[in-house]
Amino acid sequence: MPIIRVDNLTKVYRINQKDPGLSGAVKALFRPRHINKVAVDHIHFSVEPGEVVGYIGVNGAGKSTTIKLLTGILMPSAGQVQVMGRDPHRQRVANARDIGVVFGQRSQLWWDLALIESLNLVARIYDVDPARYKQLLDQFSETLELKDLLRVPIRNMSLGQKMRAELAATLIHEPKVVYLDEPTIGLDLIVKERIREFIKEQNRTKGTTVILTTHDLGDIEELCRRVIIIDNGRLIYDGPISTIKDRFGKYRTITFDTLAPVGQPGTDFNIPEGAELVTNGHSAEDRKLVLRFDRTVTSASRVAASLMNEVEVTDFSLSEPGLASIIKQIYNGALAEAEVSEADEAGSQPLSGGHDQDVFGRYCEPSEGVETGP
Amino acid sequence: MMQALRRSSKMYGAIAAMVPKLYLAYSIWFWMEFVVQILSMTIFVYFWKAVYANSATIAGLDLRQTLNYILLAQILVPVVQNRTIFNFGFLVREGMVGIELLRPMDFQTRYYVESLAGLALSLVLKLPLLLIAWLVFGLTLPSAPAAWGAFALSLLLGQAILFYFDWIFACLAFYSTETWGLSVVREGMALFFSGAILPLNMMPAWLQGVANLLPFAQSLYVPVSFLSGITPVSDAPRAWLVQLVWLVGLVIASRVVFSVSVRKVTVQGG
Amino acid sequence: MLRYLNLYGWFLMQRFKILMEYRMNFLIGASSTVFIQAAGLLAIWVVMGQIPTLQGWSFDEILLVYGLLTLAKSINHMFADNLWTIGWSYIRSGGFDRFLVRPIDPLFHLLAERFCHDGIGNFLVGAVLVARSSTALGIPWTPLNLFYVVVAVLSGGGIFIALNLITATSAFWIMDSIPLTQIIFNTNDFARFPLTIYNRGIQVVLTWLIPYGFASFYPASFLLGRDIGWLAWASPLVAAILLLISFRVWLFGLRHYSGTGS
Repeated sequence: MPIIRVDNLTKVYRINQKDPGLSGAVKALFRPRHINKVAVDHIHFSVEPGEVVGYIGVNGAGKSTTIKLLTGILMPSAGQVQVMGRDPHRQRVANARDIGVVFGQRSQLWWDLALIESLNLVARIYDVDPARYKQLLDQFSETLELKDLLRVPIRNMSLGQKMRAELAATLIHEPKVVYLDEPTIGLDLIVKERIREFIKEQNRTKGTTVILTTHDLGDIEELCRRVIIIDNGRLIYDGPISTIKDRFGKYRTITFDTLAPVGQPGTDFNIPEGAELVTNGHSAEDRKLVLRFDRTVTSASRVAASLMNEVEVTDFSLSEPGLASIIKQIYNGALAEAEVSEADEAGSQPLSGGHDQDVFGRYCEPSEGVETGP
Repeated sequence: MMQALRRSSKMYGAIAAMVPKLYLAYSIWFWMEFVVQILSMTIFVYFWKAVYANSATIAGLDLRQTLNYILLAQILVPVVQNRTIFNFGFLVREGMVGIELLRPMDFQTRYYVESLAGLALSLVLKLPLLLIAWLVFGLTLPSAPAAWGAFALSLLLGQAILFYFDWIFACLAFYSTETWGLSVVREGMALFFSGAILPLNMMPAWLQGVANLLPFAQSLYVPVSFLSGITPVSDAPRAWLVQLVWLVGLVIASRVVFSVSVRKVTVQGG
Repeated sequence: MLRYLNLYGWFLMQRFKILMEYRMNFLIGASSTVFIQAAGLLAIWVVMGQIPTLQGWSFDEILLVYGLLTLAKSINHMFADNLWTIGWSYIRSGGFDRFLVRPIDPLFHLLAERFCHDGIGNFLVGAVLVARSSTALGIPWTPLNLFYVVVAVLSGGGIFIALNLITATSAFWIMDSIPLTQIIFNTNDFARFPLTIYNRGIQVVLTWLIPYGFASFYPASFLLGRDIGWLAWASPLVAAILLLISFRVWLFGLRHYSGTGS
């Protein structure tokens, strides 16, 4: 029985077009113009209780709009959302009691209050049983190391401390579903680890369902078994993270800065098997080469060595593929091969849910019209 | 010599030009201020009409004179509303005094120019209000250029007087970080004793005495009384002399207080 | 309902804990309003000293009107101050969304977040003015009169809050609701004086459109034994209707917010 069910969910924003200045404002009054921006486009998915789902996409893809629809802040233009059997917008208060939300860097705690006072107030708002509150407070003080922070106001906390405090406040009322928006952004590695451990533990011991939106692939790798990718309002992937890891986790990119211009189109470079040229710049004067290679086939040293034999290199850097490039490749059907091969191996549908999808995980064109905003 | 003069005037000019940009950043707020002031004027006019319902003159002024005075005083009230204390408090609180003192121009003069430019801008922005006062509320302005001359000079002197007075006041910011409370007290007193809400002539003698001991009346009452015809132009030279004495005294005092306060900051590291 | 009262108590307690941090600020805030008021009152006192009455109203009678208005204004100041900055502090930053994911009414949350202690200063000023003027005028403090004043002040406060809420709701569309709120709020200054000094048009506006008149003039008239007929009893009705309208407007604004996400 899914705890979250999203059906044909659509959100269209009506954006008013207005010329600048006073004349523009007057014109807009008499002849209003607008364009429709489809932020979320007929998405389907469902989440079972206890799942930890990564919800990823580039900025502007529709992530935060989806979260706002799931939490009841926004009203859908079309389609349905069901969280724990309720419409989160229509039954806002009832839904709010059972969810927790971390809004990126906007803390829900009161700026000038000591942490313990903030927690007390939150507990009151959510009507947490006093005895249970005491228990949880002790637990969180342990696992999130808050003992020394209880008397400190948020304004005096570091980013890492703030996030730990934030998690305590979010989970103190034991919500069944938690939405985490960029929980580890800006944190150093050690703090990130601690936070990830905490989330994992909560999910393990309490069965809390977690929806995680993040740009940090490390978060995804550590916490999520399933990943949903949204791009331009549409779901382009919904499935196990293993597929993505296998397909993209093995790629690395090296960027070379060269002494002489290498931008001449048609120039050939001798690069080893398993590597390919991504770009050699846009103009003949460019002094940059970007190569991508498959870690399982070749190595960074081999690629670098072979290139440096041919070209004088002044600097180079090594990086993992970014989220944007992964998404672009998925969009271009890069997952197709992997899925087809997985299906062959497992003999079953690689993608979850019973909804209309072609084998690439892309969505069919919407059959109904799109309803504009109020 | 000419080089230095040109350079410094260019610098001061640049500072003065900055002020309008700051004020016009929020144009919807400008309209709000405009409407709010019209409401305020309306209340004043009805109030005074009611006051004069049964008397032809009060304290020697008739309704027309009083209305003129009040309308002009409301339009010119920016001269008693100062920003210096806020700027100071801000600087001290943010620990920026050191930086400000390093700038290559006389600290005080720079603020004076900014204050004067601010006043000029406020008055320009109030021209629509002046128009409304003239069209709707029956404001009458003097035709004799002598009255305008008396007004203009006394306004200039008055603005300077208040600037240097507030400077001393603002030096107190060096001694306490909570300057807001002080400025509220100053606002209240300035509003009343400058003659912004009622002409000094109507105050009982002892209150007039207090008003004469304070610099606020010099900045607003004096110029407005010339322009509204309450004070005859023949009194101008005497008034200017009084203002000059105030000004000289305050300039000296302010520079002394300031150097003492700065020493405190640089010694203690503000 | 009871739960909300209890909850408000908690919000209040936490707010005072914050304010105690800034003790000096607390005192200054509470007493600052007194100075601004004092200047205006002093001016009126001086002027009234020169004339017998202001169109039939003595200085103490005017103080009564002024005092009642101040009391009503202070209620809005104390309890609904957060409405002023709904746009800049909550909608623009996205902080308003937090209210929507908590299991309590978002309007309650917004108001409970900030009890404004400055309003206490205003309240005291108003109370002193009413007490002083009523003593000087010899108004008998019968249980009826006392009850009347309490109801009148609460109604006046309700009128202030309702108008504040209506103008603040514009923030859901234009974000910066402050100019609009400031303009409507400032019309209350008309009600500092007996409405009879204004022309008919203004009197109508202040009675039926932006009914600040019911916060000061009409209750004062009743207490002074001036004949205004049924208007003497209309304050609570006007307040109730206005509050209802304002809440409807608020809900309409909320619907717009969740439709467009601003």
